[in-house]
Amino acid sequence: MGQAVDGLRQAIQEAVSAGDTRIVLNLAEVPMIDSSGIGLLVRFMASTKQLGGNIKLVQPNKYAIQTLRLVGVLNLFEIFDNDDAAVDSFA
Amino acid sequence: MSAESSGGPENNALSELLDVNMPADAEAVAAVVDSISETLERLEVPEQKRFEVALAVQEALANAVVHGCGNDRSKQIRCRLKSDPKGRIVIIVTDPGPGFSPELQPDPKGNENLYADHGRGVYLIRQLMDEVHFERSGSEIMMWKY
Repeated sequence: MGQAVDGLRQAIQEAVSAGDTRIVLNLAEVPMIDSSGIGLLVRFMASTKQLGGNIKLVQPNKYAIQTLRLVGVLNLFEIFDNDDAAVDSFA
Repeated sequence: MSAESSGGPENNALSELLDVNMPADAEAVAAVVDSISETLERLEVPEQKRFEVALAVQEALANAVVHGCGNDRSKQIRCRLKSDPKGRIVIIVTDPGPGFSPELQPDPKGNENLYADHGRGVYLIRQLMDEVHFERSGSEIMMWKY
């Protein structure tokens, strides 16, 4: 919650507004995702998909994966080991 | 994963480990969560359990800030960490708000709610902690980890 989520929301909104709907989100440095972060991710994943894009995740740690699984949204996302693989998947 | 009941582990023999007040400010949450994590680490609580407690506390404090206090920084939230002789820990988060009805929370895993941008906090707490009790009409949450 707080500035971290607000900053991410702003960044994604700016990208989408600029027409960039294919987004790769690297979570390697993210120690934990809370429900507000998950809410943001699923909301933007749904909206970018409607515009022909998607949000794909790179290197979520085991705790992020556990949290996504607990609330039933893990299977909504494509997950990759590195940025290049995620970017290539949009091709 | 968690049970809500009028009872719960006995409160009589609890040791107070932490008792902090924080303003109802989203930016104040992290410091409290870190204090709890550090305390649990000193108690040699395993990392997986520390993570689950930290996230549950984060969710409870976030709810207190947003719903209990309406993001009003002039209001205070109390967070206590206690343990019993068996090593079970309890975190109690209390806000000055009117409370809420936890049983009326929608199921975030229902198809109609899967893409919702909110409504997962209480559910997540119940999944992470072993026992959850709501007191004071919902303005206080007690979360047990065994």
